[in-house]
Order: sequence, then C-alpha cells, then structure tokens
Amino acid sequence: MATAETAVSLSDVRKTYRIGEPVHALDGVSLEVPEGSYTAIMGPSGSGKSTLMNLVGCLDTPTEGEVVVGGRAVDTLDDRERTRLRGTEVGFVFQTFNLMPRLNAVENVALPQLFQGIDRTERRERARDLLERVGLADRGDHLPNELSGGQRQRVALARALVNDPAIVLADEPSGNLDTDTEAEILDLFDEFHDAGTTMIVVTHERHVAERADRIVHLLDGRIERIEELEGDGAVEPASRTGSSEPTEADSE
Amino acid sequence: MNPLESLRLAWRSIRGHKLRSALTTLGIVIGIAAVIAFVTLGASLQAGIIGDISPDDQRNVYGWAADPDTEGGPLAGAQPVFTDDDLAAVGDLDEVEAAYGYATIQTQAISNGEETVAQGNGLIASGPSYIREERLAEGRQFRQGEREAVLNPAAANQFEENVTVGDELTVTILGGERRTVEVVGITDTSEGQSPFEGFESSPRVYVPTDPYYTEQASGLGAGGGDDGGDNESAGESGEARFLAIIVEAPSDDEADIDAARESATDYLESDRSDASEFLGDDLAVTFRTSTELLQQLQDVLDLLRNFIVGIAAISLLVGSIGIANIMLVSVTERTREIGIMKAVGAQNRDVLGLFLTEAVILGVIGAILGTGLGLIGGYVGAEYVDLPLVYPLEYVALAIVVGILVGVLAGLYPAWRAARTDPIDALRYE
Repeated sequence: MATAETAVSLSDVRKTYRIGEPVHALDGVSLEVPEGSYTAIMGPSGSGKSTLMNLVGCLDTPTEGEVVVGGRAVDTLDDRERTRLRGTEVGFVFQTFNLMPRLNAVENVALPQLFQGIDRTERRERARDLLERVGLADRGDHLPNELSGGQRQRVALARALVNDPAIVLADEPSGNLDTDTEAEILDLFDEFHDAGTTMIVVTHERHVAERADRIVHLLDGRIERIEELEGDGAVEPASRTGSSEPTEADSE
Repeated sequence: MNPLESLRLAWRSIRGHKLRSALTTLGIVIGIAAVIAFVTLGASLQAGIIGDISPDDQRNVYGWAADPDTEGGPLAGAQPVFTDDDLAAVGDLDEVEAAYGYATIQTQAISNGEETVAQGNGLIASGPSYIREERLAEGRQFRQGEREAVLNPAAANQFEENVTVGDELTVTILGGERRTVEVVGITDTSEGQSPFEGFESSPRVYVPTDPYYTEQASGLGAGGGDDGGDNESAGESGEARFLAIIVEAPSDDEADIDAARESATDYLESDRSDASEFLGDDLAVTFRTSTELLQQLQDVLDLLRNFIVGIAAISLLVGSIGIANIMLVSVTERTREIGIMKAVGAQNRDVLGLFLTEAVILGVIGAILGTGLGLIGGYVGAEYVDLPLVYPLEYVALAIVVGILVGVLAGLYPAWRAARTDPIDALRYE
C-alpha cells in the first residue's frame, strides 16, 4: 500500500491483452516510486514500457494487481474518477510534445486547469508563471507551430506541472530534440526534480536515463533489474542480465 | 468545464477551418433563408390583403343572392334581386346601422376635357358611406341623388393633368351613352375598398347608385334588352335591382355583426321584401364579412407557405447531414487533440460538450446568416411585388431554435464518438 512518501506504487501488476492469444504486456511488476524521486524506465520494444506508462498515468487499469497513484488505487476508480485523478496527479510529457495546435503557449499550459474548472484569470496567471520558470516568459502568446522543438517541450513540461501533480511522466521527452536542446530540457527536469517534483522518464537512451536516481530495466513484461545510480550501484532482482541499452528506435 | 470555455474552444476550432465551416453552414443558411423569405412574403401578402380591412370595414357584411350550391369568392353566381325598398327596409332594422346597394356600371372611357382615357373597370355604384371618410385624402363623400363621384388616386392620375376635386368628367357607358360626374373626393389608396372590388390596385370611380345605377338599370329595362332573365326583374318592377347589398353593423363586435346579418337575412327572405320573389330554392342570400371572404384566400396562402416550408425543411435536413458529416471528419482529424485533452484531465462530458458546442455554433451561425438573408430576400420580394413589409418575428426566433436543434442533432453522434475515444489510442494516432 501507498505510504505518505510514495507517489506511485505498483504491486504484482499484470496486464493481459487478448488479441487472439493472450499477451502478457506486464507480468507481475512491483515498483515503488518515492515522492521526490527521479526514476528512469528502460527496456526494448515490447518490454512493457508503454503499458507501464499507461497504468502509472491512469490511462489504463491493470488486469490484476494494484496501482496506487497519489494515494488512490487506480483499479478501483471508474472512468470519471480516473480522469480526474489523471488530471490532478499526473503530468504528461510526450516525445511528440502533443500541444494543442490552435492554442497558444499560455493556453496550452493552462489547459489541464481548464478541465479542473479553475478560473480563467487564475489559470493564465499560473501558466505565465510556469512559462517563466521554463524560460519562455516572452513566448506565451505564440502558437506551437511558431515555437522550436525545444520550446514546445518546455511548454509541455510547464503544462505537465500546472496542476502540481504527484508525478511527471515523460515518454521519450528528448526523442525529437537535437543534442543541445535535449540537454536543456533534461537540465530543466533536474531543476524541477531538485525542487521536489517526482519524475518518471521512459527512455531507451542510456544518457537520458542516467540523469535519474535509478533505472528500472524492463524485459518481457517483468522488471529485469533496478539499477541504483549515484554510487549505490545496481541491484539486480532478476537473475538474467540483458542489454540495458537497446539501440533500435522505440517510442511505442 | 463551463459552457463559456467550451464556446471559446469550439469557436477556436471553427475559425481554424474557415472555408470548411462556411461551406458546412451553407446548407443551413439556404434552408433557413428560404423559410424566412417565403414566410415574410406570405405575411406581407397577408398584411397587404387583410390590412385593407379597416375597423369600419370589419363591421360591414357583404351580401348577395346566389344559387346556394355556388362555390367561389364574393359575388360568385350573384343575381340582381335587391330593390331600393329592400335596402331602405334593411337599413331601418334595429340591428342594422345602415344598408346600401352595390353595383358596377360597365364603361368604356372617361374624358377630362379634351383628354380621354380608356376605362374598362366601370363605375362602382354604392352608398355614400361605401367610401369611408377616413379613406378620403381630399374632398368629401359623394351624395346620393347627385351626379358626383369619388376617384381613387390611380383613376385621378391617369390623365396628363391630374384630376382634382371640383373637376368635371365625362364617362362613356358601355353602349355609348355619356354621363357627367363632378369629382368631389379622392381616396387615399388605389386598392379596392371592399372584397367586392378585389384588393388589387387599379383606377376606380365611385358614384352614387342614384342616379347612375338606377337610370342605367331602368333604362335597360325600358329599352327591353335581349337578355330575358336579368332584365325581367328590372322591367317588371320598373326600378333598379342591385346585385349586392352592404349591411353595416353597429360595431365590429361579433355578436353585433351576427345580429345584423341575421335580421337582414330574415327580412330579405321573408315575404315582406321585394327580393323574396326571387329567393327560395334557386337563390339564397349569403352574407359574409371581409374577414370571412378572405379566409378562403388565406387558406390558399397557408397551403402554399406550408409547402415551401416543407421544401425548406428538406434543405435543413440536408444541411444538418452536412454538419454531421463534417463533424465526423473533424473528430477523426482531431483524434490526437482529443487524446491530449483526455490525458490532461478532460472528462467525456467535456469532450462531448466541446464538439456539440461546435456543431451548435455552426447551426446557429447558419440560422443567423440564413435569417438575415431571408429577411433581405423577403424585403426585396415585398418591394418588388409592392407589398407592405411585415416581418414574422416569431419565425426569426424559431429559426434560431431550429439552428440550435439542427446543431445538437447533427453533432450528437460525432460528439459522442469523440467523447468515447480511448486516450491511449488517440495519443498514438498519427
């Protein structure tokens, strides 16, 4: 069960898709994400990264087991409550930015609060605040197509943070960025992490994952090993060790 | 999400596809415009006809004797049966304010000094109060027994030099006889004064029945005309018989009108009247108010209007299918946006509301533009046909309601599909 210090916890989570033969996308995964931690999830295609993301992001419910986000068990919630939990407790950052094309930066950042019924003036104030923190104070009125990739991802990050979520869930956040911009974005991640935000980053790039406190390696729907960084060394719960650095592009 | 926010977001996406949105609303615009234009024209036409019945006219009852089986408008199948004595007797009835005859005298031409114009409309012979005083632009009513006439503007203006009060005209009766008339009044309108004349504008000359009709009718009788049936009456009695009788009730109250109508009918059908010798199995007296006479025309107008509204409704249906279609395309196109919104906390009902709002905006814009276009169309039409313009405002309100309704109906399924979109699939959608 979740404790006060746990942002997300998964206990023996299974997710099975039935498309003809049952496919076990996740096959008994248990993971605790402490508040304020920075976790990277790595794994090759089909290892269950996306499924794990969807579960932690309250987009999906497990077939078996329990997923607790922000102190609430996702599997017991109906669609409405799950949406509400997702809106308040999860901030998404996507590889393709996923900004609303016809809304400007401020409106994009304010979007999650719109659905929480927060007053327009208050929303915009908060959005401008966050845009300033990601270094886009002067870009508030620009539409996404008037912004560079790095700027778009900053807007997306600001949007993810707007509701003060329990976790920020980033899926290949630098996958569409060049090296310099990638570094800028990851620096921002570090900055917000240092300020107390719980980060989960799904990636297949080793150097991106290395920004985290620990790396969870997934393989075939199981946690292959959890690698603690910053001197603690890697802990290996599973017996087999595979390549932890798949090279093929994978954004599923 | 509050409705204002939905409105703002929906408006944003409509503006994002200006041409597409414009074309989508076109179907609604055309449908609504057609309805409004034709309803405006119908209402104007109605006002053009009904509006001519002033309160004074509404207390008039128009009577004529015809075969009871005859169908048709005023004077259909009418025969000349009413004598002056009948008119006087009916006028003396308690329930009747006044009664006077109505007849037309066929003419060929009217001369004003040297200038002669053709006049086939004839002289309209009736009692002085047939031309109500408030209908006179200048001069006065003609007097019974005098060689006087009241002209309408169309008749007065057909000469090179307009006829004015005091002028003397010469009227050539069908058959070549000439009669002089002194113009004593000009009416304010060229439209008919009663349903007997019809309501269209044309040159008309109003004269007293005495002397014009009486000398005409008795003259025909004395001359022994070749048409046995009609002349017999005039010949036998030696006096004019009128085709029609106009009975004025004391007020336009329905009870008064009915009382006047009833007592007049009773008298005329009783043995006391001269008319009764012709009445019986063959002929019966019919009394109708203008309003009743117009009802027939009204029914035709209503039918026509309903027909056009029906066609316009089909256009609206096509229009709403257009909206539904474009909304479905829009939902598919924006699958990813729907996914984003859901990922950041949009509830199903938020998404539903958003797309529904969009459809309703399209419908309402269509309705507003259509209403504007329809009103302009109605104006141009009424101007062209020369009708008093009457805007049926309840239809304008109805059009907006229809616009909203069309939007809701057309948007319901697409919006429902949008709301049901799975965010996981939607976010992956390219």
